[in-house]
Amino acid sequence: MSRTPRPRVPGTALVAAVALATALTACSAPGESDDDTRSDSGPVKIAVVNARSGQLSSLGDWEHKGAKLAIDEWNKKGGIDGRRIEMKSFDDQGDPTTGTNLARKIDSGNYIAMIGTAESAVTIAMAPVLKQAGIPNITSGQADALVDQKSPFLFLNGPTSTTYDSTLAKHLVQDKGHKKIAMITNNGSFGKGEHDAFAEAAKDLGVTPVTDQVVTTDQKEFSAALTKIRSKKPDVVFIGSEEVEAGLIVKQARDLGITVPFAGAAPQGTPVFIDTAGKKAAEGTIVSSPYLGNDISPAARKFAAAYKAAYGEEAELHGAKAYDGTNILLTALENSDVATGKKLADAIRATTYDGLLGTFEFGADGVGITATTIGVIQDGKLVEQK
Amino acid sequence: MQDTLQTLVGGLSLGAVYALVAMGFSLVYRTMGLVNFAHADIAMIGAYAASTFYLTSRLPFVVAMVLAIVITGAIGLVIERVLRPLENKDFDLMLIGTIGFGIVLQALAIIIWGTTGRAVPSPLESAPLDVLGIRIRTYDLLVMAVAALAVVALAFFLSRTKRGAAMQAVAMDHEAATAVGIDVGRSNALAFAIGAGLAALAGGLVGPMLYVDASLGGALGIKGFAAAMLGGFGSIHGAVVGGVAIGVLDSYAAGHFQGYSVLVTFLVFTIAIMIRPMGIFGERTVSRA
Repeated sequence: MSRTPRPRVPGTALVAAVALATALTACSAPGESDDDTRSDSGPVKIAVVNARSGQLSSLGDWEHKGAKLAIDEWNKKGGIDGRRIEMKSFDDQGDPTTGTNLARKIDSGNYIAMIGTAESAVTIAMAPVLKQAGIPNITSGQADALVDQKSPFLFLNGPTSTTYDSTLAKHLVQDKGHKKIAMITNNGSFGKGEHDAFAEAAKDLGVTPVTDQVVTTDQKEFSAALTKIRSKKPDVVFIGSEEVEAGLIVKQARDLGITVPFAGAAPQGTPVFIDTAGKKAAEGTIVSSPYLGNDISPAARKFAAAYKAAYGEEAELHGAKAYDGTNILLTALENSDVATGKKLADAIRATTYDGLLGTFEFGADGVGITATTIGVIQDGKLVEQK
Repeated sequence: MQDTLQTLVGGLSLGAVYALVAMGFSLVYRTMGLVNFAHADIAMIGAYAASTFYLTSRLPFVVAMVLAIVITGAIGLVIERVLRPLENKDFDLMLIGTIGFGIVLQALAIIIWGTTGRAVPSPLESAPLDVLGIRIRTYDLLVMAVAALAVVALAFFLSRTKRGAAMQAVAMDHEAATAVGIDVGRSNALAFAIGAGLAALAGGLVGPMLYVDASLGGALGIKGFAAAMLGGFGSIHGAVVGGVAIGVLDSYAAGHFQGYSVLVTFLVFTIAIMIRPMGIFGERTVSRA
């Protein structure tokens, strides 16, 4: 009586679910199989992951365009060993959770390598999955936490926050003689990295910030933090946050009567920062960047012209970084006869590349560039500080 | 002291915007007993529309705002019309319907305006006022004045006009209201349209203070919703008090707890709601399921 046949129903459902799951994972397109021979023929598949929606989407958009430009150029030249390079774009929405899901998708989709993301937090979230899957990743992130991942598959297409900020600190303290430096950073992955790197660099030079304000990544109103900064009467304010938030901070600081210049790393050199802050408010901002503009070198001019022809807009740092990173990856693929996994990672590490940001020579930590230049915003444009 | 007052000024201007968002939430809740989860995204559409007319079409800011309010008002009417068959039948489905509309609006915004947001310059050129060392942006004053005007106008409409009185009657007892010849559907549609217009007013005004992109609704919605809850859902006065309270609380939390400010704001909010579940001016008269 008590042994009713009811428990069999979930059992059947479970079997069906397992069967379905197996069928789904086994269901790959013809010509593709999930083993290490994945790169022998057909197009070379590269994943480009970036925020294509949300507040960080401008960043993702620039990086996407830089990577696409490089790939299009290589394809025009005939690809790698006659094989076409196929680029697939994924939207991580600037969200680490979405990123980890994408990492699994990239693994199961047999992508040979990944370009992106422009977001340190997302890159860090994706790193363990990519490391396990043996998929090399060249990121535009710059947080030192990226290096702390100690993943042999993770490479940076630009300098780390430490490089940006120690160059900046040296300029502010030694060249300009500023002793009263205020800090405002956000508590996100990028902002935290900037905070630690700059505070450390300033400490090494014997300077303690007069105030150290931390804001949240989604904060829009900064009068509390800025009022504190104003009361300390600093010579210069270090700012560590992404483009839009930094722009809002500077805009509101000017309204509050803070007239001293702001100083920061890559985000403060972008048009989005200048637009958000307003041209007048952004004037005089000191920027530490490996790519100050499109007129710095003949290679930069050529890149900027190609970028303009392809997208109808001015090139900037993030596009240049992704362009460099993608070129390095494609060079390594060519040099290694389209290797995958560990071999490809080694090939990237062995690649010396003369790029837009400088000469890339990768160390064991995956960092290829260890110097930046100081620029300043004049008339709404970033120019080299002479 | 000066710091405290400066922080207060910063909190008040955003508080005024939260109050406008909360008023829209409350108005729809008051007449229909429904929380319109698409409200914040309507505000985002309003912000985008206003910024487009202002920056791209180069219309005066006031004209851009009026156009944005008309457009979102129409969106409000559409939403109400789609949900109307569910009225008094399936309340949960109506709620989910509003969530769905919010997602649709976000997707629409990305299709129309792209993924990159835009910075809107302040329509007022004048420099901030300096009162005893406290800097007050002229634009913030404008925002507070407009918000105050909207509150007075809405209160007047609800208590002194025939349409407003009819809406109040529907809120109290929609069957009795139908019996005396009030068109409940039209009353609801009007509530939705005015609510959406208020959202556009909030979104359009906040544009020059913040940054307009498809995720703007998220930033405004959660604080506006909290403001409506804190003031007492359904109460117009409560929305104003709640909005200002959340704005100021947020501002001080940012000053004292820095990176943990959001956590502190919502902890205080949670405790306040635990002590007084119906909010400051709350009255649990509206329950139309």
